[in-house]
Amino acid sequence: MSLVPREIRLMVNGNTYPVQARGCDSLAQVLRDALNLTGTKVGCNAGECGACTVLLDDRAVCACLVPAMRAEGAQIRTIESQAEDGGTLSAIQQALIDHGAFQCGFCTPGVVMSLSALFAQCPSPTEHAIRVALQGNVCRCSGYSKIIEAANALAQRAAT
Amino acid sequence: MRHIGKATAPQKEALAKVTGRAIYTHDYTLPGMLWGAILRSPHPHARIVAIDTERAAAMPGVAAVLTGTQADVRYLHAGPRYADRYPFARGIVRFVGEEVAAVAADTLEHAQAAAAAIEVTYEVLKPVYDVHEALATSAPVLHQKDGLSPNVAQHTLAEWGDTQAAFAQAAHTVEGTYTHGIVAPVCMETNAVVATWDSAAQHMDIWAGTQSPFFVRKEIAHILALDRKQVRVHAIEIGGGFGGKSQAPEPIGIAALLSRAAGAPVKIVLSRKEEFISGKTDHGKTMTLKTAVAADGKILARRNHYLVDNGAFTHMGPAYVSAVRQRTANLYQVGAVEFDGKLVYTNKVSGGSYRGMGAPHIIWALETQIDELAHVLGKDPIAYRIEIANQPGDVTPQGFEISTCGLVDCLQEVERRIGWQDKRAHPKPWRGVGVAAMINPSVGILYAEGNFANVSLELRPDGRFLLATQNADCGTWQNTTLAQFVAQTLDLDVAAIDVLHMDTDDAPDDLGSAASRVTFMAGAAAIDASNLLMAQVREQLATQRGIAADDIRFVDDGVRLDANEHLTWAQIAALTGPLKVNGHHKLDQPAPDPKTGYGNYSATYAFGAQAAEVEVDPETGHVKVLKVVAVQDVGRVINEASLDGQMHGGIVQGIGMALSEDLVFDHGRPVNTSLINYRVPRIFETTEIETGYIETHDPRGPLGAKSSGEVSINPTVAAIANAVAHATGIRFRTLPITPHKMLAALRRQQARKTELRPWMRPYNLEVATARHLYPRGLFPAMKKLGETFSTPKPRVSTWDYARADDIAHALQLLRPTDRRVKLIAGGTDVLPGIRQGVYAPDVVVDISRTAGLGGITIEEHQVRIGAAVTLADLTDHAALRAALPGLCEAADLIATRQIRNVATVAGDLSQEKRCWFFRSALPCYKNGGVSCPCYAVSGDSRHHSILGAGRCAAPCVADLAPALTALDAQVLVQGQAGARRIAMADFYRWSGETTVSPQEIIVAIEIPRVASATQVYEKYAQWRGDFAEASAGVRLTWTGDTLTGARISLGAVSPLPMRAVHAERALLAAGADLSDARIEAVARKVVYGALPLRDNAAKVDMIIAVTARALRRARDARHP
Repeated sequence: MSLVPREIRLMVNGNTYPVQARGCDSLAQVLRDALNLTGTKVGCNAGECGACTVLLDDRAVCACLVPAMRAEGAQIRTIESQAEDGGTLSAIQQALIDHGAFQCGFCTPGVVMSLSALFAQCPSPTEHAIRVALQGNVCRCSGYSKIIEAANALAQRAAT
Repeated sequence: MRHIGKATAPQKEALAKVTGRAIYTHDYTLPGMLWGAILRSPHPHARIVAIDTERAAAMPGVAAVLTGTQADVRYLHAGPRYADRYPFARGIVRFVGEEVAAVAADTLEHAQAAAAAIEVTYEVLKPVYDVHEALATSAPVLHQKDGLSPNVAQHTLAEWGDTQAAFAQAAHTVEGTYTHGIVAPVCMETNAVVATWDSAAQHMDIWAGTQSPFFVRKEIAHILALDRKQVRVHAIEIGGGFGGKSQAPEPIGIAALLSRAAGAPVKIVLSRKEEFISGKTDHGKTMTLKTAVAADGKILARRNHYLVDNGAFTHMGPAYVSAVRQRTANLYQVGAVEFDGKLVYTNKVSGGSYRGMGAPHIIWALETQIDELAHVLGKDPIAYRIEIANQPGDVTPQGFEISTCGLVDCLQEVERRIGWQDKRAHPKPWRGVGVAAMINPSVGILYAEGNFANVSLELRPDGRFLLATQNADCGTWQNTTLAQFVAQTLDLDVAAIDVLHMDTDDAPDDLGSAASRVTFMAGAAAIDASNLLMAQVREQLATQRGIAADDIRFVDDGVRLDANEHLTWAQIAALTGPLKVNGHHKLDQPAPDPKTGYGNYSATYAFGAQAAEVEVDPETGHVKVLKVVAVQDVGRVINEASLDGQMHGGIVQGIGMALSEDLVFDHGRPVNTSLINYRVPRIFETTEIETGYIETHDPRGPLGAKSSGEVSINPTVAAIANAVAHATGIRFRTLPITPHKMLAALRRQQARKTELRPWMRPYNLEVATARHLYPRGLFPAMKKLGETFSTPKPRVSTWDYARADDIAHALQLLRPTDRRVKLIAGGTDVLPGIRQGVYAPDVVVDISRTAGLGGITIEEHQVRIGAAVTLADLTDHAALRAALPGLCEAADLIATRQIRNVATVAGDLSQEKRCWFFRSALPCYKNGGVSCPCYAVSGDSRHHSILGAGRCAAPCVADLAPALTALDAQVLVQGQAGARRIAMADFYRWSGETTVSPQEIIVAIEIPRVASATQVYEKYAQWRGDFAEASAGVRLTWTGDTLTGARISLGAVSPLPMRAVHAERALLAAGADLSDARIEAVARKVVYGALPLRDNAAKVDMIIAVTARALRRARDARHP
């Protein structure tokens, strides 16, 4: 059964884009293929790895599990929204670099987005809260220690 | 040395990766690009009788269809002696997932649809999965190699020294057989490729995740009958390698062939499931090891007779056979060694390489025996290892010439840092510490081409440098490290050096990023290049300026000509013009004897030690790694952040290998092909890691450095296993040490007796009879019946989407029509389910924002939660947490934050039950109906039900189900005819499906508030957020301090949440005695009526443990 795509309007990173989507297209697919925002990665297509984490109305979600059509009307923010237009990195991004918190980098956009949701809700989270926020982001390279170190450092800085 | 060491350069690709701008193969596209889909064998062993591609070729969008007929050249792989694999199966398929055919089409869906339309007729052949069975004379033959027994790919016998004499003289010997299965690399980026054939230029361009562009070019040229110059591999970012992308992953050859056939670029991206099924894995092994020692503890001899599971084809198997010898003969000072090693074919996925090439498992066996010997000798395990440690100047039985060796320092350091003496002398209950060491002979003659490295270095007009290496940086910080060697030699800022990796045209030949060879080999080449460049600059400037070449110094990001003149590199480039040099390094030592393997294998040997501290939970079998201390002789620290990253990453992979990672097969088909079921460590499962580096300044290493990639994982498994033995007294002979295995071992050790009283559920007799008959003919008969007569479940690859504005609208959309409808809210069960073939709707109806389904209302006597309230809404609701803490506890532990942010209360209750056979679309009872068997009876049933199973044994794992059952909740449902209430007790059928009809919609959950009730939810899962292995929802009601009511509902142990009525009654009968002992006795009653399967007896202990814990907490909550 083939489906005819229809036009939907998605609000991504502060802009509104018309895209063609079918009912079965996921937000991850549409972001990557239609909008060429390839920073959001697909690691499993089942919501199990967190590589595709984006913010949907400020909540961290797996874009591979969000039907593109559901995302109409919601504020979507992807990794591409994190650094400022002039190139200044977000505090989270800079902290991950400073602490050597990634290697292959495939999980990194998802990690940044999960942390960005966390820090927006809670500027100085405990380590436990950091782990809870990142529990859905699988990293195979780093063993997670440096990611926690980076996030802890940010939390400390906000507390002081 | 200001450009190497501690506070050094961040990763060169940092900015691109952290902003999401880095382009991986998954992201790469070309104009006019087609998508490739691979048709894979469903059988572990079968003859291909016929393949008909006519229908497929005519389908929409199809540009090319290929089968084995069109690809008649074998891959080179491990050399002509071993080459046994074609791009597609030819005549025979030898593992489930083997590539049979492929299609290139304009969209991925068109390609997949056409691939599915290829008609293959198979004649099923008898398969063999086990290495021992494969060696039996009755075994089916996968390959017959000249001069070898059937199914043997390689057989190596070797003896160095006189082991017979050694064993005769020995004061003590230890013997054991160690077995482990298959682990997978699990890179975050699955294998992918974009290949494009230019027929005018007769040239193939490739972008792919590969650690060795050199070998990809070689293989692709070979199978396409091209000259290597006609194939180019391009630079691209790679999302992890670990060996899983070494050599030429099969999709690359297929994409290249498709591109040539189709005349357009072709992209293939493996799904995660395909990656598990067909991506090359680590090799399973069985090792029978004997160690003989003298009275003073000197190792007189080791004997290792072992079988390496090759899988269906030879890829890196010979290297694994060799790795066993390399550790057995050379870890610690050893007198004599004898080996009998066979590489054996089985009908499983072909083994490839994974970090360590088997060393972690080999060292586990070796180090287990060292611990056992230490015990027999009455020595401290570390003190003993220090006595027998390798020393500089040693020549080992295999002929390894040990130069630098910091092993003793490493052992002493880990001893100090983990607090060894105190923890061994005064261990806390159920805690233990263990140690292990490693040797990594990584810089050896690895390939037919030897071992060499080339690096080019170019000075450009703007004064920046370009370093080019053909090795691939898959996240190892290779590029940064190589740039640091240049920076150090020339004394310039690393930031001034750009690095190009992988490009086989623009970078000189090098053999790839594998076997931890890059720092040593390419690092040396980088230094050589730097020296050559300096020589050229010196010569030119000396001539131009008429000064002595020796007076020219390379310092401070430029060149100092004299006290008054310092030139920047931009200025130098203006004077010299652009310069380009080729740096080279070759391993200049004779290769070991190819027949015996004897000789100095490597330029240098890395050594290290790790100590692990673990804590075992004797009730659940859970092993928690509290701390790992790793001290490594790295020769020289080039980049400490990078080294730490390698150490941490490898150690955590080692934790996975030791405790949870295992590819589970059912009749040759992997069944845990997802990241939920193949358990890699997540952020809660990491441990405190302390690293230390010993610098032994290897004279042959670049700036003294040795290798670092694999050293981290080598000792981890052994250290953990030894710590477990210290904590429990149990030595495991198989891996991983899952909670299930731990409980089985503890049960035996403690002679635990648990009353199950299976007769208390009369239906158990029927179930037990059927289970008894399964291996006696019933299972194969039902399997055949099922495959023949069951209607295959429909699958959809596309579906429509509709949104329900309100409940009435939803009901309207649910009215029966010819369209299959599925409600979705969070979609976290439905969408993966559709992709797995569990659901097949024509349209999904989104009720996540439907009016009337939201809201949390807390009133004096009840709480009402809208069906579409998300789990995050539950966990974040302070008033709800105060009113119903047990419910919020349950929600906290479900899955991950991303899932909880969209998954709903009703969705959690409605999700399908848990079974990896069901989710693999096997024709089981649940998928195919009454003529089908339950695969859990004869298959791996560790996650299946111990209570209440019938024709289906899949358990209900929805955490809210037992929580709400304990709370006596009611589910409000609206249907075409009106509303109704379903008590939780009636919400599930005996088999676990809900009693909500397809035309009904769950509207809300109502939970009565009982004054003076305490309620908790207790869950045991191996990883936080995972599905429960066992859980219990408990609500106790009180009058004063007297217990007046008890509800205990069990989760993950039965097809539906079961009320533990015997336990509830016993608790109430206990009267005032709610002591821990009484509660323990009560908890034991929850398993009355249980009938465990072959692999899930552990759940008996687990459910008793969680029930007891829940009862104690609910009791204590009365007076917090």
